[in-house]
Amino acid sequence: MSKKVCFMIPNKDYALDGMRSTLGLSVENHYSYCVVLNAELDEFDDYNKENLEWIRDMEGEVYSNVEANCQKNDLKPITIEELGQKLREMDIIVPYGTY
Amino acid sequence: MANSLGIFVTNPDNWEHVKGVVKAAKNKGLKVKVFFSWTGTHLAKKPDFKDLCELADDVSICADSYKKVGYDVEDVPAGLTPEKMATQAQHGAIVEEYDKYLTL
Amino acid sequence: MKILHVYRHEPADFTKKLVEIVSEGRETESFNLYEDNPDYDKLVDMILEADQTICWW
Repeated sequence: MSKKVCFMIPNKDYALDGMRSTLGLSVENHYSYCVVLNAELDEFDDYNKENLEWIRDMEGEVYSNVEANCQKNDLKPITIEELGQKLREMDIIVPYGTY
Repeated sequence: MANSLGIFVTNPDNWEHVKGVVKAAKNKGLKVKVFFSWTGTHLAKKPDFKDLCELADDVSICADSYKKVGYDVEDVPAGLTPEKMATQAQHGAIVEEYDKYLTL
Repeated sequence: MKILHVYRHEPADFTKKLVEIVSEGRETESFNLYEDNPDYDKLVDMILEADQTICWW
C-alpha cells in the first residue's frame, strides 16, 4: 500500500542526498515529499534537476521555505505553518540528517 | 501487536542510539531492520558494526552513499555481504513491510 | 492518533512550531534522546505504543 512520506532537511550538506532518498521512495510507489528548510542550495546540476523532475512525475514534490531555492531551483515555496499542516497528513515523517 | 521495527539512519552521530534501540528491540522479540544512508554509511566502519549486523535481523547500507562519502564499494564492511550494499529500495522495504519506523 | 516525539537535541524554535501544529488535537508523548544514558528499553515500549514516531533532529 502506498504511504505518504515527508523528508525534512535543514542542512545544505544533506539536501541533495535527501532528495535522492525522496526519489527512492517515489520509485517504490509511495507519495514522497521533501522540504529543504532554512538552508540555501547552489543551483542544481543536470542530475539533480532530473531527480526533481522525476519526483514530480511521480506525484511527489520538493518544497523549501527559502526563497532563493525556489527562484534558483524551482522548488515549491512553503512556510513552516503550511509544512506543519502538511505533516499532519503524512504516514511517515523523516527529519533527515542533522542541522 | 506490532512485531517489527525499521530504522533509517542518516546521521553518523547516532551510533550509540542505533545500538541501544536495536538491542532493546531484540530483547523484546521484535524483528529489526536497519538501513544506513548518506553520511550514516560512515557507521559501517565502526569496529562494532559487525556486532550490530549479528544482532539485527537485516542490515544494509546505500552503496551509492558509501561511494559518495569516499569508500570503495568493493570494500564490503565486516558483517555485510555484497548484496547488502544496496539501494534506497531497502528504505522502501522498511516503509512498506515494518510495523514501526524510526529515523536516527 | 497517538504521536511520539523523540528529540535528538533540544528542539530549535522551528521544530517546536512544527511539533505544536502536528500535535494539535492529538494525544502525544515525548522522549529526550539527548539526556545522559537514555532508557532505550522505555523508548522501544513507547514506539510500540504510538501510532507514529517522529524522531526530530
